[in-house]
Amino acid sequence: MEAIKKNPAAPGLDQGQLVHAIERFNTDYCRALDDGRLHDWVEFFTEDANYVVSGRENHDANLPVGLVYCEGKGMLKDRALAILETSMFAPRYLRHFVTNTYAEPQDDGTIVAGANYMLTQVLMDQPTATLHQVGCYLDRFVFEQGELKLKERRAIYDNLLLNNDLVYPV
Amino acid sequence: MAWTPVKGADALSPDGGVMAVTIDKIPVALYRFGEDYLATGNICTHQFALLSDGFVEDGCVECPLHQARFDVRTGKALSGPVNKDLDTYAVKVEDGQVFVDVTRPAEIAETPADNRIAMTEQRDQRCFVIVGGGQAAASAARALRDAGFTGTVKLFAREQALPYERPPLSKAILLGEAPLHGPTLLDSADAAELNIELHLGVTVTDIDAERKVLTASNGDNHAYDQLLLATGASPRPLPIAGADLPAVHSLRTLEDAIAFKRALQPGRHIAIIGSGFIGLEVASAARQRGCEVTLVEAAPRICSRALHPMAALRVHKLAEQNGVRILTEVQTTAFEPADGGVALKLNNGDTLRADSVLVGIGVIPETALAESLGLEIENGIVVDRFGRTGLDGVFAAGDAAVTRRQDGTLLRLESWQNAQEQAAAAARTMAGQDTAHDAVPWFWSDQFGHNIQMLGLPTAHDQMVAQPGSNGAETLYFHNGERLTGVIAFNDPGAIRRGREWLRRGLSVDALNRLLENTAGGAGESRLPAQLRRGTMSDLSNYYVWPREGLTRVPDWVYTDPYIFELEVGRIFHGPTWNYVALEVEIPNAGDFKQSNVGPTPVVVSRDQDGDINVFVNRCSHRAAQFCRDLRGNAEEFVCPYHQWSYDLKGNLAGVPFRRGVDGKGGMPKDFKTCDHGPTKLKVTTRHGVVFASFDHDMKPLEDYLGPDMLREFDATFDGRELKLLGYYRNSLPGNWKLYHENLKDPYHATLLHTFLVSFGLLVAGNKSQMICDETGLHGAMASAKSDGGTVSEENQKEMRAYRPEFQLEREDMLDFIPEFNSQWSVTMLTIWPNLIVQREMNTLGVRQIVPSGPDEFVMNWTMFGFADDDEEMTRHRLRQGNLMGPAGFLGLEDNEAIKFVQDGMKRTQPGEHLVALDPDTPTGTADTLISESAIRAMYQSWRQALDIE
Repeated sequence: MEAIKKNPAAPGLDQGQLVHAIERFNTDYCRALDDGRLHDWVEFFTEDANYVVSGRENHDANLPVGLVYCEGKGMLKDRALAILETSMFAPRYLRHFVTNTYAEPQDDGTIVAGANYMLTQVLMDQPTATLHQVGCYLDRFVFEQGELKLKERRAIYDNLLLNNDLVYPV
Repeated sequence: MAWTPVKGADALSPDGGVMAVTIDKIPVALYRFGEDYLATGNICTHQFALLSDGFVEDGCVECPLHQARFDVRTGKALSGPVNKDLDTYAVKVEDGQVFVDVTRPAEIAETPADNRIAMTEQRDQRCFVIVGGGQAAASAARALRDAGFTGTVKLFAREQALPYERPPLSKAILLGEAPLHGPTLLDSADAAELNIELHLGVTVTDIDAERKVLTASNGDNHAYDQLLLATGASPRPLPIAGADLPAVHSLRTLEDAIAFKRALQPGRHIAIIGSGFIGLEVASAARQRGCEVTLVEAAPRICSRALHPMAALRVHKLAEQNGVRILTEVQTTAFEPADGGVALKLNNGDTLRADSVLVGIGVIPETALAESLGLEIENGIVVDRFGRTGLDGVFAAGDAAVTRRQDGTLLRLESWQNAQEQAAAAARTMAGQDTAHDAVPWFWSDQFGHNIQMLGLPTAHDQMVAQPGSNGAETLYFHNGERLTGVIAFNDPGAIRRGREWLRRGLSVDALNRLLENTAGGAGESRLPAQLRRGTMSDLSNYYVWPREGLTRVPDWVYTDPYIFELEVGRIFHGPTWNYVALEVEIPNAGDFKQSNVGPTPVVVSRDQDGDINVFVNRCSHRAAQFCRDLRGNAEEFVCPYHQWSYDLKGNLAGVPFRRGVDGKGGMPKDFKTCDHGPTKLKVTTRHGVVFASFDHDMKPLEDYLGPDMLREFDATFDGRELKLLGYYRNSLPGNWKLYHENLKDPYHATLLHTFLVSFGLLVAGNKSQMICDETGLHGAMASAKSDGGTVSEENQKEMRAYRPEFQLEREDMLDFIPEFNSQWSVTMLTIWPNLIVQREMNTLGVRQIVPSGPDEFVMNWTMFGFADDDEEMTRHRLRQGNLMGPAGFLGLEDNEAIKFVQDGMKRTQPGEHLVALDPDTPTGTADTLISESAIRAMYQSWRQALDIE
């Protein structure tokens, strides 16, 4: 067992508790997305959060583009509004599976964390779910009023060739 | 050599099993019927084919190639394209062991045949005359005797040669694979045995029908009782200047074939006018002899008279694959002598230089004699099903005759089978055995190593079911909704054999489908892809015939048909087009490379040590491996991992391991040269950092290809500033690739589908905008200038259900347009045929490359970029604005969804047409209103030209 670190980012939590806290965070985050509650999803982020969904080829080559590229919570809100109110797409169900969570508290009070994710998608006219994305979250968390918030989330997917489109956030 | 034991004979099926065995170098077919064994020669007497691969039924063997049938017991040729019998060999069985003696014929009790014996006894006093010396004439002569006619038979033939087979004239004779005297239909020995009086080189010049006396060209008169006109046909002449030049040939007689054979020297250029079977078979032979061949066809597609469009398409492809250059919708207006050859003046303004020309544009029936008798002529001598003309005692058959069928319609068939069987029926009727000729029409053609056979007479309105076989075989079945009407088989004689019986039985459509399921071997797995299967069940008039309304309709098959897609790959992506492959900024340094595609074909784009960009097909010359696997990288050379064949950065084959073998053994042939075996290289051009490639090395400059309007829009985005790569998106899209072009030639959708755009006033119907096309209509630019949402008039608001003035963005700066381009437009979507979209959505910039993988799916590769001199804030502005586009973009995802919906609709409903009729004032081309589809119509005008779709 790792000794309890003096942890400016997560005071009072040992490593296991921190990972557990992030796992619970991700559970709630994914429930919001799986339920299609995009306005709730926005609230998992800090005001100045960055959120990017990008292919691994871009990440590996330090290319900044994102399928989704949001700077600040305002852009997250705009995306939630656009998807929920203006976008046309066939109905679908998505489901997230998150595993292999890790957390590395930083001296600046943030927590570098990550996890692998799988995202399945079901279209109404298909009998099977497809593995829409498989990738990893590369995160930076902070505690705000005792709650974990994402200051940055980069969802980096391995299957570069996306099946048609990505409607909901990851 | 005497009795030779044959091993394994007892393993033959007792129900007509057959095996091939070679005895004393003689190929023998050994058959088993119960405990009886019989042996014949194993090679068909018609053309080279092994009978042991054929079908045994009712004591007969049927050749797999052209359905010649032989009696296994006697070797006698029964039907199909043969008159020469098979050799038979003696067989005995001792203690269960089968022995064959190839020095002795089978000991068969010859049935006392026939009539020939009777001839000497009770001779008929009548005289029957056959006018003609071809297939029909010879067939009639034999049939008269077979039917027991013992009187005099006289045959008058224009040619000096004994009646011979014509099919080899355009095939084996030209290739020198058949003796020049050809397979005779009636040799001297036959004529003597059958007691046929041959008058060779003598024509009939006059007939006195009342006195029943004819006058021959040598002045002799002959009395007759009955007459068969088997006068055949002559090649249709091309009525243009120079048609009588010595290098301009036609092909009907052996003499013609011998003369033309001399013209087929390796390296010579042969022009063939007309693309019927004669033209195509000659093209095939000429290519085999090493000639350059150009086929000139006046109609929009080849073989349009003889073949259904789908079958014609396959033949077209086959010919092209075999190096035949095909010009359609081109007429020859004159022949002129040109340094030892001929210059063909074409109506498209070109001149085609050829060493020799073959004119094969059909035949004209020889009806002069019949006309002199006052017989009814309708593009041939009209006869009934029995071969009778309107004049008592006068019959006609073969190419010269046209049959009035039971339903009253007239039918003239120019075929081997018709000549053979119609003449035989007429002869039997003459001999008193009234015999109607009701055989299922059958044609065959051998070309480019393929055997094509057709049964029945399907019409263009019949429906079709295609069934692939093994090894490239394919059979097309036609039906009229109730019954089978025809079969066209490519390399599948078995299907013809089955189809003949099915047609005879008048097979119902239900039964046809059941039988096809059964013969497909499994639950339809080996059948065509679902799209084609569904499509082929549709009305055939939907196939490759454009709706009569014209460009305002686009039929579904344009988007769903695999053969159309194949054509598109060949004629568009691999044809005279510039295809986007890369941005130079992706490969800035020597050795940099990326994988790309031209159409579906993978290519490597590399920068060599000289700084030049090279594009070559990503396929190892050795075993076809796609050797470059990394998306991008830097390399000194490319090495195929399989056998380490290596390629330099210019795409040349550089190294072949163990090329000289080891210890003097093995290795490549001595004359192997690496320079002859490189991957296919493409022509490359660049403009302002964008790299294009073409399989066509004669491509005109990109600037001319784009035309001035498109070049202006292209240069507005690529203005010469150095680019900065921002990253990639890749997505598959389950729709036809052209739908993506159409989506960007369809400004109508933008105001209606893209609520986001409209809600925030980025694009509204009242905005300043234009849909710009180039002259070809293939390229386009959808352009608009941004305005505020507040300016939307009430009238326009009503039209746009999407308009939501209450929406407010938290980050409206995402939609800011920072002017940076020398253009009146804030947005242009430039479609550059066939695979590039240049996106300039205000400040978010990208190129989209279309990589089609089939008729109903393509991959879209997005490369997003900015400019090298952008500051960090400008880069981030471009990235933020990027949320509009791409496969997760507010607008981008909607386009992808809409295209999927369109393809789903076509996939899941009865095939139909798209209605593309907006803006009739602008039939095609640039539109000044967004409520227009003129750009889509313009695109299809050129697309149809590229694919020869009428």
